[in-house]
Amino acid sequence: MKNVKKILALLLCLAMTAGALSGCVSSYVNKETTPAATQAPTQPPATAPAGETLPPETEAPIAGMTLNVWYAVSGTSGELFTKMSEQFGSEYGVTMKLTYTGGSGDTATKVAAAQLENKNMPDVALMYAGPLYTGGKDNYDIDNLIKNGSGFDINDIFEGMMDYCVYMGEGYCALPYGISTQVLYYNKDMLKAAGADMTNPPKTWSEFKAVLEKVKASAGENKAFDTTDQAWLFKSMLMQNGCEIIENKEGNIVPIFNDEQAVEVADYWYSLVTDGLMPAGEHNNAENTFLSGNLAFLAASSNRISRWVGTTSFELGAIEMPYFTQPSLALGGNVLVIFNRDPEILRAAWKYVCYLTSVEKNTEFALGTGYLPIHKSALEQENVKKAIQENELYNVAFKQLSYTWAYTHFEQMGTMDTEIKSMLNKLEKGRGTSQELLTKAVEAVQKEINADK
Amino acid sequence: MKTKIRNTTHLDSHYLAFAFLMICAVIMLFPFIWMILSSFKTAADVYSYPPRWLPSKWNGSNYSKVFNMIPFLRYYWNSIYTTVIMTALQIGISVLAAYSLVHLRWPGQAFMATVMRSSMFVPMVVTMIPMYLLVSSLNLVDTYAGIILPQISTAFTTFLIMSYFASIPQDMIDAAKLDGCGPFRVMTRVVIPNTKGAISTAALFSFLGNWKSYTWPLIITNDEMYRTLPIGLKYLQQESSSEYQVMMAAAVMTILPVLIIFVFFEKQLVRSITLTGMKS
Amino acid sequence: MKKKDEHPEKAGSGKVRLFGKEYHTKEMLVGLLFIVPTVAFLIFTFVIPVIDVIELSFTNFSMSAGTMKNVGMDNYKDLLEGFFTAEYWEDGFGQSLRNTVVYSLLKLTLDTGLALFLAVQLDKNVPLKRFLRSTFFAPVVVPMVASSLIWIWFYDPNVGPLNQILQFLGLPASKWLYHESTSMLSILIFSLWKGVGYNIILFLAGLQNISDSYVEAARLDGASDWQLFWKIKFPLLRPITSFVIMMGIINSFKVFAEFNVMTPDGGPLGSTKLIVSYIYELAFTRGRMGRASAAALILFVIIFVLTQIQSFINAKKTIDVE
Repeated sequence: MKNVKKILALLLCLAMTAGALSGCVSSYVNKETTPAATQAPTQPPATAPAGETLPPETEAPIAGMTLNVWYAVSGTSGELFTKMSEQFGSEYGVTMKLTYTGGSGDTATKVAAAQLENKNMPDVALMYAGPLYTGGKDNYDIDNLIKNGSGFDINDIFEGMMDYCVYMGEGYCALPYGISTQVLYYNKDMLKAAGADMTNPPKTWSEFKAVLEKVKASAGENKAFDTTDQAWLFKSMLMQNGCEIIENKEGNIVPIFNDEQAVEVADYWYSLVTDGLMPAGEHNNAENTFLSGNLAFLAASSNRISRWVGTTSFELGAIEMPYFTQPSLALGGNVLVIFNRDPEILRAAWKYVCYLTSVEKNTEFALGTGYLPIHKSALEQENVKKAIQENELYNVAFKQLSYTWAYTHFEQMGTMDTEIKSMLNKLEKGRGTSQELLTKAVEAVQKEINADK
Repeated sequence: MKTKIRNTTHLDSHYLAFAFLMICAVIMLFPFIWMILSSFKTAADVYSYPPRWLPSKWNGSNYSKVFNMIPFLRYYWNSIYTTVIMTALQIGISVLAAYSLVHLRWPGQAFMATVMRSSMFVPMVVTMIPMYLLVSSLNLVDTYAGIILPQISTAFTTFLIMSYFASIPQDMIDAAKLDGCGPFRVMTRVVIPNTKGAISTAALFSFLGNWKSYTWPLIITNDEMYRTLPIGLKYLQQESSSEYQVMMAAAVMTILPVLIIFVFFEKQLVRSITLTGMKS
Repeated sequence: MKKKDEHPEKAGSGKVRLFGKEYHTKEMLVGLLFIVPTVAFLIFTFVIPVIDVIELSFTNFSMSAGTMKNVGMDNYKDLLEGFFTAEYWEDGFGQSLRNTVVYSLLKLTLDTGLALFLAVQLDKNVPLKRFLRSTFFAPVVVPMVASSLIWIWFYDPNVGPLNQILQFLGLPASKWLYHESTSMLSILIFSLWKGVGYNIILFLAGLQNISDSYVEAARLDGASDWQLFWKIKFPLLRPITSFVIMMGIINSFKVFAEFNVMTPDGGPLGSTKLIVSYIYELAFTRGRMGRASAAALILFVIIFVLTQIQSFINAKKTIDVE
């Protein structure tokens, strides 16, 4: 190909001009190898013992400062979040610059891109997988601030929630906020028609299946159960059956979701499809199917509570998630992270995140959105008690809090979810046995992890 | 306008064509009708089963909801502003380049065409991150320039304009040259006036291409003041993931002005295309 | 793109010899001057980023981790390993490659064919011409997010009107986007609806510029509509057709938005995962910027080769005609 040569030659000579002009190509490439080096030398090393350099005087005024915040929650949650942030701003005289940066994917892309140049970063972000961008970059300021014991009472937080704020099993590098679990919603009208008694809801997955069979008998095939996020539910089910999903071997993450327990879970999953209880591979449409009254049970995020209550065309109910050997639910949703390491800004940012995660404010947010309260003591609050009594959906979501968990953040967690999704898709379509598909998925994840070493 | 030869057989074939076109038109319009009807529905109507065609009660609240949820007009203005500038730049640059490539002779024209064509082969998703770093190092994050400049890709419009420029009879250009016109005046006096319609077609396509860009404006703006309409729509979609009716109201408002402009513009456009002396 | 060699000799202008060819100095300088803005933008929006992409394709650069290590040809090996086995085409990059080829072939033939056909019908003396033209073009101006939402709703197996229509006609309901056998077809129908008007306008402009004298002469010779089209109009439309096909190849290989909004995770069993969706997932879900860059360069080479073949065939045909 003569043209290939031509173009290469041209590229080469343009490259030299361009490189000479801006020098940016090689400069950013060099920068990437040592992300920590881009930080100002005056800043304390992340491993500095607590108290020596950090934290700043919490009593000193923060008025007149500006905080730049990105957030990835929308709808009612977004409105409430901005309202509370502005309240903080007016109470402390801090100018709040709040920006909705799109859903979890868009926000992560924006943060990652800004971080490459370490420029145009927000001071604080409410985002999914936040620890990857703080702990993952050796920023453990939050850990130091928590240890210093001012403003944030870690003992009052559910353990699972704090586990959700960890990178590679090391220190805390985020605060829980806007966290959710899956809730098993159901269509009361359909269950009434099926003659199923829900006053005594099914506890285990096998009991649950008996209820699903009743629905099938009255409503027909593939209308009993589905979930909007199959990987999320599957991970909870693995834990419920005693499979830990990943192991952290001295800082090396090893996926282990192909053991005997995992195979049992996958077999159960497949049987839902073969028995005509769950449609194969329609999870993306599950929410619409449920809302149109064509699905009896739907496992979906607890943040749907605020959105759905009173708007569905049928009577909406919820029960605690069934389990195999022990109740267990994987956490999802967002965390608060602080990016700016300038001591002054850090002080204001810390004040701000403590404000948001205070029992009072966080409970208000939880009740307004369906995201979970993070404090154990929240359950004693009057407004929470009232909500639990009046609304069985909150009751279920909050009851589940006692057995939630999270694994540590690691770079390939997104990859693992994608692999689990595609594995389940193949399983549902009968493209292999549980054992084969699980092992293939584990190998794929392992390969990705090795590639980063 | 040109005159057509009419006779009975042709008239029959015209009726056949008309019938066929009408059927196609109905299919094409169907989603629009659905969209407009849906924008007046209530949440319950949307999820009623079997599907409901007409709203149970006509209400305009979905429209006001859009304005409560996003700064719709601001986004609209940003979209128009960035798109118009981008289009103007693209067309200006493309006309110069097309003229230079078609009607002037200089060494390396074939290379140039190949490189330009190649520039269309790379999907934006991969160049986005290197591009972001470049733009960020130039301090253009959160500026209109940062939104506009990296999205200027002139290859498509240049090739389109080139294909029209090439159809200008060489005699016409030679005649102008004999009258003492230099390359610049040949362009402004002969080439551009004779391809006005074609250039406006290119402008229209360029406008549409720029109008829909989403990912880049999102990445490069941190300030909502600079956000554009597609981002607003995506924002609405995420915000109201189960509120189709609100999305449809936003869609109607997004589309209508563009459609009106198009219908108006199209008359000029098609006429000028037809008037262009483009004879193969 | 093709240079005409028959330039008139101009008296009095300076000439210069470069690379064995003769150029008019003034014309050459003006030509170079006019191309400067294009070159500047090409460097800025294409050359620099692409050099970065080439560089990145040899590393394991991960966006979130910020790691960057030279890994040589590993990314290319990963993507192309087992190219000649049947398995390769069932999963991962191979599957996306296969899907893209299938989609491109269908889209290119259907879109071009339909657009040409409709343009020819519209070119006839039909009533409501302007209305029809605007109708066909209208979907083009609808933003992707908005139009995809309408269609996702259409395709909804439960609350969507399409299944209702099918049932009304006594046909079995379909899963549309949610089954591997129909997902690609569903998106194809959507993208035809969305895009056909674009090419109609291009063809229509071409058809309306065909001089009436050709048509009248052919009519006097007793040519039928059919002959008139294939013998006169179609050959005269060649520059437009070739432009439409070239853009068709490039765009259908680069298609992303339709697929991303309608099936964000690649559809049932990955049946609607195309190359760019695959690259997007690599780069942004998995953070594998390095491997995504390698995949993008492979895509680049594929499109490059295809368009070269197309312009070669086109050049040959043009010579044949002449």
